[in-house]
Amino acid sequence: MSTSEHTGEDEGGRNALVAEYVLGLLDTNEHERIGRLIDDDPALRRERDFWISRFGALNREYEDTPVPAHLFNAIEARAFGDVIKARGATSFWDSLMVWRGIAAGALAVAVIAVGFHVFQPAPNASTLTTQLVAALEEEGSNVKFVALYDGAGNVRLTALSGEAVPEKDFELWAIQGGNNPVSMGVIPVNERSAVTVPADVMKGLGEGSVLAITLEAKGGSSDGAPHGPIVAKGAVTRI
Amino acid sequence: MSLAMQPQSQDIADLIARCALRDRVAFKTLYERTSAKLFGVVLRILKDRSEAEEAIQEVYIKIWQRADRYVAGGYSPISWLVAVARNHSLDILRARRPVSADIDAALEVPDSGPSPERAAEDSDERGRIEHCLGTLDPERADAVRGAYLDGYSYDELAAKYDVPLNTMRTWLRRSLLRLRECLTQ
Repeated sequence: MSTSEHTGEDEGGRNALVAEYVLGLLDTNEHERIGRLIDDDPALRRERDFWISRFGALNREYEDTPVPAHLFNAIEARAFGDVIKARGATSFWDSLMVWRGIAAGALAVAVIAVGFHVFQPAPNASTLTTQLVAALEEEGSNVKFVALYDGAGNVRLTALSGEAVPEKDFELWAIQGGNNPVSMGVIPVNERSAVTVPADVMKGLGEGSVLAITLEAKGGSSDGAPHGPIVAKGAVTRI
Repeated sequence: MSLAMQPQSQDIADLIARCALRDRVAFKTLYERTSAKLFGVVLRILKDRSEAEEAIQEVYIKIWQRADRYVAGGYSPISWLVAVARNHSLDILRARRPVSADIDAALEVPDSGPSPERAAEDSDERGRIEHCLGTLDPERADAVRGAYLDGYSYDELAAKYDVPLNTMRTWLRRSLLRLRECLTQ
């Protein structure tokens, strides 16, 4: 450790500046400049550590405040990189209860659906009466899909936004009543696609069903149950 | 004054080290042990619950990503965690503030000089900072506390104590130098 008896004004200025840096009193440019100087200089790093340590004795004045329980799932998903750009994504199961009362979102869904419908090939009168749509999105996630049931056993999917995630696949799920989610298969994010509705989903398909997309391991969930975070979901609505 | 911190300190250091080795279980345990404290930090500085809820997520993501940087730090592990939370909150506030007039922009930082003793565990210093703050004029000690605990800017402090910005900065810098002198005695 280098020490000196000298305590000149420059040194005083330096020490105050590092203290100001630690306190966060410097403006952006100055803060960044001093930060770089500290990074490059062991003596300044010791000075910084000195202040962090000494001021650290005041930390007990910060009052412990419990974090809302649901945030940890989002933190894990983001920290571990399971969802790129997803913010506040919660796990599939945590959200399941919420979904079962999701009808409140129906109005917004309908508005999006009408907008979307304009771009569809004009359906004939008989299919129109059986058309069902769902807008799939999740707060904090940039993955957005519109799903349209064509009245003939297929759900057509269009991604409005979102991007593929390396080594992962998006998987579509149907939730009906209190039943467990049923997989409707892996779906591409960069192109339109159509999914044939499985027979057991078809039976319950209608208003009140929920469609959801989760991020799963490549190839989709191996055991028929969702494991990854929800990146989009929406209630099925008749139009 | 509590004695609770000392034995806990090594545990926290171990958990951070395991996070650096990408141990997700350790991350969860670390979160369970420390998140209430860090949430207290971001909440006090940001003063807005929904902002604090977003910030605390980012703080723990940073902790996970930077766990390997807490190895040879000269301060306790909990101080490191609090510093991550404080700095993140202050970055958010700083980004909103206009860049202030360059009061001392010309001040250059010499690249050598005496260094402080290597910082011991903060808990050893408990009482020390209180003692030294007690040697300052009460208003100035309060300003230092406000800057640390609430993340007040010079502008906010100047308004709070009703003095010009430059006066505030002079006050605070002098106070910090006196504080340093007292702390290193």
